[in-house]
Amino acid sequence: MGSDRHRRALTATVAACIALTIVLIGSPPARAADAWWSPVALRGTAITRVSAIGDTIMVHTATGATLLSTDGGKTFATAPATATFPPIDVVTIGTERWEIDPAGRVLHVADTAVSSAPQVDPGSPDLGPGAGLIAAPAALPGVVVAVSTSGAVWRRGQDGDWKQALLLLPASLVQGVPRITSITAFTEPLSDAIYLGTDGYAVLISTDGGDDWIRAGPGLPDSVSSLSADSGRHAVYAGTADGLWEHVLQNLPAPPAYQDAALVWRWLGIGAVTLVASAIALLAMIRLVPRRLQA
Amino acid sequence: MPRGSVATEAVGTRLQRYRAAPWWPNAATLVLAELGLGAALLVPITFSDPNGVDPYLARLSVASVLIAIPSLLIRRLEPARPILFALVAVAAAYTLLSAGPQILFDLFGQRSGSFDAQVFWSSVAQAVGTLLIAFAAWRTVAPAWRPSLRMRHLGLGGLAAGVIGSAVLIGLGLALPAGLLGRVALQPVAFGRDFPLLGPANALQAFSQEVQFRGLLLGALERTMSPRWANVCQAAVFGLAHLAISYGGPEAPFVPITFLVGLAFGWLVRRTNSLWPAVIIHAVADIALQFGIVQGLYGF
Repeated sequence: MGSDRHRRALTATVAACIALTIVLIGSPPARAADAWWSPVALRGTAITRVSAIGDTIMVHTATGATLLSTDGGKTFATAPATATFPPIDVVTIGTERWEIDPAGRVLHVADTAVSSAPQVDPGSPDLGPGAGLIAAPAALPGVVVAVSTSGAVWRRGQDGDWKQALLLLPASLVQGVPRITSITAFTEPLSDAIYLGTDGYAVLISTDGGDDWIRAGPGLPDSVSSLSADSGRHAVYAGTADGLWEHVLQNLPAPPAYQDAALVWRWLGIGAVTLVASAIALLAMIRLVPRRLQA
Repeated sequence: MPRGSVATEAVGTRLQRYRAAPWWPNAATLVLAELGLGAALLVPITFSDPNGVDPYLARLSVASVLIAIPSLLIRRLEPARPILFALVAVAAAYTLLSAGPQILFDLFGQRSGSFDAQVFWSSVAQAVGTLLIAFAAWRTVAPAWRPSLRMRHLGLGGLAAGVIGSAVLIGLGLALPAGLLGRVALQPVAFGRDFPLLGPANALQAFSQEVQFRGLLLGALERTMSPRWANVCQAAVFGLAHLAISYGGPEAPFVPITFLVGLAFGWLVRRTNSLWPAVIIHAVADIALQFGIVQGLYGF
């Protein structure tokens, strides 16, 4: 009798677990908002480098081709042999310039109109020889984010203090830590955002100068090779393993503001449902809960 | 006799037999209260706007209190009291946590401190509220049905279970593929800034939830049910409660995971006869979630 009950309990537990697993598998993926990124062109082509200025977009593909579009990405043609990509280890905001030298030091020119001689930024980290990823959002003067060859992300606060801001975690035991491939920010004061491209976690974004980072890749392939922020079009372009993608700056959707009778009716409805549901549950309990003793 | 009548009679007989069982009051209370709270939570989605005007957590708390208070006044509902108190502790204390920062800001303006400070004080309020409801349950529930909270002792074995369980949980979290869990990165700057307040806040939240689910609820259920069924029931409520966190939003797919976690915590609490190992593991898990998972989970 006892073992029979145990068997039934076990069966029910297993059935519940299976049902819940089906719910888990069948649940739509969690998504807080509509996709942030939309495809522009070259789906199915792996892009290793992108640069966008206005309607001119240049990409380099994994097969070695360099393609140029002069109509905002609608059509691409082979780029002229003289076409070159802008350097990624230098960022210029107005007359201010930040760069990483070949030894991996962060150099700063406060005003290129006064002096072009770069100085090592005090307190800046040694990023390692060959490091070359740096970004500075114009909307946050003094803030710089740079990536070391070991993959650590450093940020310079507006007070000039450098701190390690981000350490990527392994994608899995087999895959290891994804590589940081790119970093960008708007060089016009359009947005506080700094975008970090990775080969595995798509894009991460920080809107507070590199202190907090969240994943910002809804809609984007996980493997991002290159990023380019174009202030003219208010857009960020991502070169990915599956073509060229675009994110256009947009306001976050605001909750609707009800100012008419709809608000009153909603409140009344919510209150009525709460009362009715509670009352029905209570009445059912009064009827059913007391244990009926056997005669 | 028509076949339908035979079936109805069979169901009626079975119901009569169930109603004579010792576990009936707790099971019936739990199912009916969950149905009532579920309806109060989910039905207004059809006509209200969860992001705009709908204070769904307050609504859930009000419903839980409306259902529980009569159990203090109506003699027939006395057996339902411990379960209903546990559900009030879950809903009302979570509302305190969730609405706390806004309430603090409305009351004290800029003097309410940073958002981290507001979350910390809201977590204190959640823990105090939970303990007050547990105290009320202790005072008003008959000794035969009174839940055992298992807060009196933490032996070396329990401590070891908490530490080892935490290590296993972190190891599992790191072993699972990042895409499945939402794990992406650690943020040293944000950690150094937030941990002094959000670390204790997460620990307090874990303590509150353990008192609510593995203390009040499991403790009440196991008075009349077999340990296995009591554990399954509390884990199911623990899983479903995560639906309410974001109104069936991003947390919905985690209901099955939290159900399994609830089962494990319930088993551990019974095995060690102490609430504290589960509190330790739960606190470590919440802190790890706060600082290593949430940023990658929600995206933007």
